Amino acid sequence: MIFGDVFAWLTTAANWTGDGGLLQRIGEHLWYTLVALAGAALVAVPAGLAVGHTGRGVTAAVGFANAMRALPTLGVITLLSLQLGVLRTGPVLFGLALLAVPPILAGAYAGVQSVDRSVLDASAGVGMTRWQQLWQVEVPTAMPLLLGGLRGAVLQVVATTTVAAFVGLGGLGRPLLDGQRVTDYPQVAGAALVVAALAVLLDVLLAGVQRLIVPRGLRVTARTAHRPG
Amino acid sequence: MIEELARYLSNWRNREMVLELLVVHVRLSLLPLLLGLLAAVPFGWVAQRYRLLRAALLGSANVLYTVPSLALFVILPGILGTRILDEINVVVALALYTAALLVRPVIDALDAVPGHVLAAATAMGYRPVRRFLTVELPLAVPVLAAGVRVASVSNISLVSVGALIGVGGLGQLFTQGFQDTYNAPIIVGIALTLVLAFVVDALLVVLRNALTPWQPRRTKKDGTGQARTAGVPAGGQA
Amino acid sequence: MIEFRGVTKRFADGTVAVDGLDLVAENGRITVLVGPSGCGKTTSLRMINRMVDPTSGTILVDGEDVRSRPPARLRRGIGYVIQQAGLFPHRTVLDNVATVPRLLGWRRGRARDRAAELLELVGLPRSMGERYPAQLSGGQQQRVGVARALAADPPVLLMDEPFSAVDPVVREGLQDELLRLQSELGKTIVFVTHDIDEAIKLGDRVAVLRQGGRLAQFAPPAQLLTEPADDFVASFVGRDRGYRGLSFVRANELTIHPLDTVPAGASAVEADDGWRLVVDDGGQPRGWLPPGRSEPVPGGSLHQRGGSLRGALDAALSSPARLGVVVDGDGAVVGGVLAEEVLEVARAHRDRRLPGSRS
Repeated sequence: MIFGDVFAWLTTAANWTGDGGLLQRIGEHLWYTLVALAGAALVAVPAGLAVGHTGRGVTAAVGFANAMRALPTLGVITLLSLQLGVLRTGPVLFGLALLAVPPILAGAYAGVQSVDRSVLDASAGVGMTRWQQLWQVEVPTAMPLLLGGLRGAVLQVVATTTVAAFVGLGGLGRPLLDGQRVTDYPQVAGAALVVAALAVLLDVLLAGVQRLIVPRGLRVTARTAHRPG
Repeated sequence: MIEELARYLSNWRNREMVLELLVVHVRLSLLPLLLGLLAAVPFGWVAQRYRLLRAALLGSANVLYTVPSLALFVILPGILGTRILDEINVVVALALYTAALLVRPVIDALDAVPGHVLAAATAMGYRPVRRFLTVELPLAVPVLAAGVRVASVSNISLVSVGALIGVGGLGQLFTQGFQDTYNAPIIVGIALTLVLAFVVDALLVVLRNALTPWQPRRTKKDGTGQARTAGVPAGGQA
Repeated sequence: MIEFRGVTKRFADGTVAVDGLDLVAENGRITVLVGPSGCGKTTSLRMINRMVDPTSGTILVDGEDVRSRPPARLRRGIGYVIQQAGLFPHRTVLDNVATVPRLLGWRRGRARDRAAELLELVGLPRSMGERYPAQLSGGQQQRVGVARALAADPPVLLMDEPFSAVDPVVREGLQDELLRLQSELGKTIVFVTHDIDEAIKLGDRVAVLRQGGRLAQFAPPAQLLTEPADDFVASFVGRDRGYRGLSFVRANELTIHPLDTVPAGASAVEADDGWRLVVDDGGQPRGWLPPGRSEPVPGGSLHQRGGSLRGALDAALSSPARLGVVVDGDGAVVGGVLAEEVLEVARAHRDRRLPGSRS
């Protein structure tokens, strides 16, 4: 059965080490993910917090996030690549970051919006300045949805990076597509399994981080909200 | 760039090809939507009733949704025994994503049906299956509709990734365009994908409204409702 | 002292929420703002701590214009309690209460100690400090809200319908708690409610506002009941105001008649011509023995000696015998009162207050 071949391919050390080996590709993949995510977060988190906090530009932000959602990533990547320089990593990373912005933006914005109005009113009433309100009340309360958005963005970037191998990027998409060209199915499936595992692992990791960072009070609040009766 | 586009579109051969690809794209994105929904409903129903299964099912759905689309497209042939460039891989993969996406909304929707309504229905003599189909499911439509809309946009976007494994659809415009260093097909492809997503979304809203004549019509300003109905990370796929 | 001078608030869409309000809330007193929805009571309250700024007019707190300081600074010296409590869900109860002290720069330990004191003050166990707001009941959350408002010991307390969202039994308990706290702390409290009974119960002075934000009457509650300024106030105060007004008249002049009593559990009970009160070892009433019967029937409400005429009248009316039962502070029977005599005292009291003489 095919599984045997795939298994064999995955357990062959040569496929992991050396130039173009899986370890290198994993490293590249993680590196691109990190860079794209950082870039996206740098822009989207403040923007989302600002939109949610001031309530201005909501329709624009929501519209933007929704429209971006519908964009076909392959199309965006190929177009950007053609426009900004074929086979150069920079433009591709820019595209990756761009596509990661919507979920982070939506998460930040929804998170800030999720703060109860009466809690916000009380925070002003006790004498917090706008800045104090943002950092002491809104951001902590926004954490669950914000981190949810970040998690979604990570998945988005991992997936898009795989696809971006088409325009010459490294990462785990490389062995996948290369193997396809020479109809080496074990390589294709092997690479696919590794990237799938990577995505799942990253998500589990982030779920753990989410548990650690989100203030305990909010988890309790969510739990009591779901209690029946 | 505008001239490039004009030149591209004025060629009838191109237009014909684009149209063909569009038809394939529609087929490949909508069929899984239906299949996924049909699969999610019974799974969701089971998960809603049996708490132990709920955690397991939601967990698996989450894991499934986490797998990048390209990876899933090439893993499935190994499992299903198909060839890589068979369309069915894409259909099954997207159906799986849709189902994974919709399990949580199904559960939430069923949870949201007021207890007294169910009690009244049972007291009137409805048996479980009939009650489910005629009472719970219709009341679940709004929440489900929101999930289906998210899934539809996602599917329409993901079908184009299939081009990398040789499957049809608008994605071919991207691969071709890149290989020929020709912007026009790529732009046409992106534009059509967006238009398609928009049209399908509008149709789904019409459908939802038709199915729920009792609901007051309100404009949903909160696009982030999608981020929450999904339950699984709203970031989605490539 | 909080002073409103010609305060008007007009919103962008043209609605006038508050119209030329002149009001003085005295130090150490509870001033209640009451009225139907749209009368501007909440808006007026929120102008004191600058959650809303007036279109014209001035508000002075202890002689100082509220606009003379940055809002955040001003608010840290004013306690603010709202209907839904507005507790921060991501912080423990203790940290919630410690919010203002922390904002003022207190050390965390000192702020928390103070918070723990306050939890006790509002009748909550110290152990509740470690819980999160979502784990508390509505009434408990409101108490925490009050504790938070009092944490930095502000001289002024603003309360915006704080008890409206809890059920009536809990509400009554919270109202009593507030009165008790006030007797201990003597804060300057401005209290907003739509419930006239709450206003009458809590207020030292009550301001009745009408829709459109104009002041209809500002007077002690007894005066509202006996001398409403116009039809609007009269109808807002509601029915039974004559009867309710009796709660403001002391029953000291009322004659207390001796009662025939019978010890509870007496074995041999001979028939008698009159009503007798069954009393236990502690002197507390257990029921009435009707004439010619040996089985007791339940009695009516009890009037506390030194209480109001209202209690006395109710005791007399609800008693199966002619006499209402009067008890002392320990609940022991003191005697009985007659309904007719209660009304006599009420009439005499009213006659003393001739129209034109303010009480």
